[in-house]
Amino acid sequence: MTEPFSAWWFPTGGPDPVGPLAERALTATFSLRYPTLSSADFLAMSEALRAARERVLLPRRAKDVARVLGRVGSRFLDSGDPVRREALAVLGPSAVLSPQMALEVLNGIARDWTAERIVDVIVAEFPDPGVLDEFRPHPSGGRVRALGRPLSLHIGAGNVPGVLVTSLIRSLVVKSSAFLKPALGDVVLPVLFLRSLAEEDPELAHCAAVAYWPGGSHEPETAALRDADLVVVYGGDATVASVRQGIGERTPLVAYRHRMSFAVVGREALDQQSAARTARKAARSIALFDQRGCVSPHAFFVEEGGDVSPKEWAQELAGCLRELAQELPASSVGASVASAIHQLKGTAELRAASGEDVMVVGGPNLEWTVVYDPELTLRPSCLGRFVRVSPVRDLEDIPAVVRPLGRVLQTVAVEAAGARKEGLAEALLKIGVSRVASLASMPWPPPWWHHDGAGPLQPLVSWIDLEG
Amino acid sequence: MRGKEPLAVKGSGPSGEAATHHRDFLALTHELVSLFRRGVDSPIPCRHFDDLALRAFAYQVRSNPSYGNFVSARGVSPAEVEGWREVPPVPTAAFKEVVLVSGDPSAVQKVFRTSGTTAGEAGRGQHHVLDLDLYRESLLPNFEAHLLPEGGSMAIVALVPSPEAMPDSSLSHMTGEVMKRFGATGSGFFVDRRQGIRFEALWTTLHGFEQEGSPVLMVGTAFAFVHWMDEMDRRRWTIELPPGSRIMETGGFKGRSRTMGEEELYRGLAGRHGISVDRIVNEYGMTELLSQFYEPILRSGGGATRRHVPPPWVRTRVLDPMTLEPVEEGEVGVLQHFDLANLGSVCAILTEDLGVAVGDGFRLVGRAQGAEPRGCSLAMDEFLTAVRDS
Repeated sequence: MTEPFSAWWFPTGGPDPVGPLAERALTATFSLRYPTLSSADFLAMSEALRAARERVLLPRRAKDVARVLGRVGSRFLDSGDPVRREALAVLGPSAVLSPQMALEVLNGIARDWTAERIVDVIVAEFPDPGVLDEFRPHPSGGRVRALGRPLSLHIGAGNVPGVLVTSLIRSLVVKSSAFLKPALGDVVLPVLFLRSLAEEDPELAHCAAVAYWPGGSHEPETAALRDADLVVVYGGDATVASVRQGIGERTPLVAYRHRMSFAVVGREALDQQSAARTARKAARSIALFDQRGCVSPHAFFVEEGGDVSPKEWAQELAGCLRELAQELPASSVGASVASAIHQLKGTAELRAASGEDVMVVGGPNLEWTVVYDPELTLRPSCLGRFVRVSPVRDLEDIPAVVRPLGRVLQTVAVEAAGARKEGLAEALLKIGVSRVASLASMPWPPPWWHHDGAGPLQPLVSWIDLEG
Repeated sequence: MRGKEPLAVKGSGPSGEAATHHRDFLALTHELVSLFRRGVDSPIPCRHFDDLALRAFAYQVRSNPSYGNFVSARGVSPAEVEGWREVPPVPTAAFKEVVLVSGDPSAVQKVFRTSGTTAGEAGRGQHHVLDLDLYRESLLPNFEAHLLPEGGSMAIVALVPSPEAMPDSSLSHMTGEVMKRFGATGSGFFVDRRQGIRFEALWTTLHGFEQEGSPVLMVGTAFAFVHWMDEMDRRRWTIELPPGSRIMETGGFKGRSRTMGEEELYRGLAGRHGISVDRIVNEYGMTELLSQFYEPILRSGGGATRRHVPPPWVRTRVLDPMTLEPVEEGEVGVLQHFDLANLGSVCAILTEDLGVAVGDGFRLVGRAQGAEPRGCSLAMDEFLTAVRDS
């Protein structure tokens, strides 16, 4: 057993509340240790973070902050850099991903941490980025400024590693100090990022801290929620509700809830040349994050009338998932997912045995499963690379089918010709879908994406008006 | 819903295969009933159990084309199967989507449905029961052995809807049967499907037994008991049930908003009714199985390890959730049952319940979050809320 990973990072020179450590084993060879923070510890830390913001963040220009953060972020992409090597060594076991998947995920998410992309986000959100640094003329007269809150608290969900680092970067560029509370599954990247930031720019590193504690712990969570000036939370409805209950009445809450996504394959993507390519992209979108992302597809609707029939395409998809299980091996599914897969596979087999046109294809060790299901409904998957493929007469039939789940839908990947894709997007937006993408881009939204309908930076700032 | 029409049995007709199946069913049923009547204290030796299991399996393969095709698609032939462990089990989730009748579908006497609290109407499991007598013969001796081991009758106060109010509930049906057989004067149902628990009437009844000094057997779900206790607290009602009283608690909080740990529930129940915790028996049953499992706590006295035991006509094993191979002794896995009382549907059932083998039974550990959508992308509760609210 290797040394446990220290699941916190506090600014040097500030309060050092590292008291008795608790430990939690994630795998046979990987465990975390974390401080048991008291409420007083947290409050001392938060005061220091607010003070550092005044001293360090406010005087700097947003783009300068972005460039420093970008230098740190780029280290996670530089194969010669020790921090990338350390990240790769611990990311797999801590996030329950195979080493190959950990590499793929780090390469994908850390792209958003480069200076170029961070600046892109700033510009996308603030056409005049100067508003983050000083009062700037407003087109309708007067002057305006946009500013993040003194201290924001970020509570992670842990399903996709790296999300909290992205959240941290967003906070710092709008000049809000940040305290990160990761969930298991996304502990190591925030810690490594802050440690590297302290090497790169020790002053700026005074504006952020990270510590894991088991979610729902009375101390220091109650104090942290009451104290924060803004809370960003990633999680399910129950988590969001409990956070909402715990924060101050006037504290803004930015909540990213659990969502589900699906994909649509039009007949134009089913000609002899495209069908296999489409299936390869589809398989990758399923396999990435082992299907745990909000952008991961749960189901595929495949249009009839192409060269390749929906059922043949389902076979093709199964073949691609089989190949991908070599290239991007799945982590072992837990007991409950394994049990669910057996239930769903067995049920599908029985439906086939009862004369329904149902087909089940799956990996020998439950690494992946494709169920071809002629019934046209959208059902959430049990995850573990489990998808249903259903035939659809025409793309335009889809919105009515998915409508019952409209409130929880997020990304829909559509492989269809321009006008048909746009027509479908038009219909889907009416029922709550917030992103229509392609299969290739599905897992990796652009850095400026309107995650569940809101931009990355705007929800973090408040505007200040200066009138003549 | 799809697939609700079972495949017809080939060549069915009064004088064809269907009639043969019917005769086979009657003959096996007859044998099983006499076995069940010997009670839970007459063990069925392994070889005898396997013999019955294989005949039941062969009958089900012959008379239930869906199951027959399922079995042969798995490369299993009844002729080559040597014991119940080799019989391919049907997952409980399949009861939601496929009609599983071994015999003449038009002879089904009753369709029981799962509570539907977790997956809405469309996701309710259905158990088509060919012979309610066989069901009754299985449930009565088992219930008696674990709830009334000293024999005789007792007033049964049920916190479940009556079978008339909820004809598709197997729990209501079962409670109705035990009330008919063992219920002394004053027995009754105290839940209306619409208004919920009739608190006043329940309190008056229990209070009456308290005054009279005659013991009571309360039957209810964990969910109902929590509501009852909340009401007792609100009204400051206290009850001291007469000595000999007992409680059968069943079902968890599946899909309910309010949950409570078992220990807290039992302490609360015991305290508020003036009985000791070891007078509370948990029943583990499911719509998909016509036999039940009980904690043998009244039979063996308190202090024994909490566990559930099957009646002799049920075998249970603990399987690795991934490989579905038996786990090492003492390890947690999913429970798979073989219930001879399921002759009219499918005997071999794969559940989503997690447990660990303990002596003559098993200890329930929880429920694999199962075929319900889960994980970080979407929790089932939210899925349902979304469906309901949209």
